[in-house]
Amino acid sequence: MKRTSNILIVAALATGAFLAACNKGEHNRKPGRIYMPDMYESRAYEFYSARLAGLKPVDGTVKRGELLPYHLKEADTAQANLVKNPLTITADDLKEGERLFNIYCGICHGTALDGNGPLYKGGEGPYSAAPANLVAGAKSGYSEGRLFHVMTYGYNMMGSYASQLDRAQRWKIAAYIKSKQPGAAAQPAAAAAPAADSATAK
Amino acid sequence: MYRRVSILLRKHFVSVLILCASIVIPFSAVKAADPAKGKQIFQQNCASCHNVHKKLTGPALAGVEGRWSDKKLLHQWIHNSASVLASGDKYANDLFNEYNKTAMTAFPALSNEDIDDILAFIKVEEAKPVGGAKPEGGTATAGAKEQGSDNSLLFGIITLILAVVALILMQINSNLNKLAGDKEGQPTPEPIPFYKNKAYIALAILVLFMVGGYFTIQGAIGLGRQKDYMPEQPIFYSHKVHAGINQINCLYCHAGAEKSKHAMIPSENICMNCHKAIKEYSGPELFTAEGKKVDGTAEIAKLYDYVGWDAEKGKYTKPGRPIEWTKIHNLPDHVYFNHSQHTVAGKQQCQTCHGNITEMDEVHQFADLSMGWCINCHRTTKVQFADNNYYSIFEKLHQDIKDKKIDSVTVEMVGGTECQKCHY
Repeated sequence: MKRTSNILIVAALATGAFLAACNKGEHNRKPGRIYMPDMYESRAYEFYSARLAGLKPVDGTVKRGELLPYHLKEADTAQANLVKNPLTITADDLKEGERLFNIYCGICHGTALDGNGPLYKGGEGPYSAAPANLVAGAKSGYSEGRLFHVMTYGYNMMGSYASQLDRAQRWKIAAYIKSKQPGAAAQPAAAAAPAADSATAK
Repeated sequence: MYRRVSILLRKHFVSVLILCASIVIPFSAVKAADPAKGKQIFQQNCASCHNVHKKLTGPALAGVEGRWSDKKLLHQWIHNSASVLASGDKYANDLFNEYNKTAMTAFPALSNEDIDDILAFIKVEEAKPVGGAKPEGGTATAGAKEQGSDNSLLFGIITLILAVVALILMQINSNLNKLAGDKEGQPTPEPIPFYKNKAYIALAILVLFMVGGYFTIQGAIGLGRQKDYMPEQPIFYSHKVHAGINQINCLYCHAGAEKSKHAMIPSENICMNCHKAIKEYSGPELFTAEGKKVDGTAEIAKLYDYVGWDAEKGKYTKPGRPIEWTKIHNLPDHVYFNHSQHTVAGKQQCQTCHGNITEMDEVHQFADLSMGWCINCHRTTKVQFADNNYYSIFEKLHQDIKDKKIDSVTVEMVGGTECQKCHY
């Protein structure tokens, strides 16, 4: 009996060693095995293939519920200056605009809109071009329409954000930037809740 | 006393004058071209289009003074570039054409001293090495990682040694028993060879059954699950560098996570939003999971190759082609999952399901994405019920909360564990 217990201990140790040796590395370079591949390898529309990646919507189509298309071309900056915000901006919209600004714009232009975001850090960050200061200097005078135009087409080093932000989101950001700019100080945006920015600018 | 000083002053008037001058003159000379002031002016006025070493909207400014034949002309160019172009200067016109006829903004407000300050700053910057010193932080972590994977082998070896030692001890023990038995005159039975020993055989079968059963069950459960899957991607894109060190929000690239079923793999134009200007990698050293060093700048060059961007010319020179990223998180077709539902209505953080992405150089699958894992979370996670328009139709639950019958609502209570929520 004593012998059996000894053997048991040895067996347990050996099993442990075997399992430990079989333990695969920390990460797998290969996916696991699958059963019923027709469920995993989707026959439906998939990303990543050379043929289907990056397809644009058909020209002239508008997504349901989306704002109507913006027809000005990149060079039409003079006309863009005059475009009015089609949305009626509420206090909630401004808050949403701020949230979107901090995600998509703040990384370069800074959450204080002073052109000193974490990617630039006063010239110390990896981004080598100084982002525009939106609350002082030439850019602080941009109209909402022009801000929207720049977000849509990009300007100098800045790229287009049309693929990340839909038109309504871009207008909300434009309204938020405008509410922070020096000219907007006279009309406190948050206080005049439903008719904050664009309505008064009409 | 006072008179004596004044006499002394009068006597040494000339030398005092020279002393004063020698103090003031170098001061004013420094003031004429002060790189520190130049840096300030440069960052305010020039930096959005120019860099000292890199080509941006405008040319790199290192050696700019040498390129212009006349410093006065350079001053005039900065004050009003159109007037120089109109004068027909060949260098200026070539430059204008090279940069897609983008006119340089006129800076009439900058004085000649300001411009000299800027030029002094550029000269100082020119002398500095490009990119600066690279901090060495990656080696230590890579070493630690290697140790981590070595551990299991170490344990295995230790266990084996212990097993051998135990076997030897058992042998000694049985030999001693036999000797003691012999001494006392007790006849010991002839030892049976171990492969005929029934106890051994039974044990071997038991062990085989256990080990085999363990692997069979684990294998069966693991079929179709890919936890810790970490494929090699076509470009070594480090989430740690982008989302961790540089604090880019997840949604910046994965903008679809709030709008659609898919979080979206960013299209290449989103990469180029930043990488038009960021041409070199200058962060801490990068290593693959195998510990191989990665050249970040070469990886950025791969991106340029995919999109057809010529970093030298600052133009797209050939048609782009998509980067075929390897999909990591994969749900089979019979499971419906929607990102926007979880991030907008459910207000979940990306990290809940994707793990600490900001610490991953290479992304691996954090959760096993099994049904048990989904259901578990749906049973325990509380829905943000108040002030959430999405759940306004659950009137009874709202009433129960008001009556203090329940204090919170889990996903399960709003139907989050019903089959047809995800399988239909």
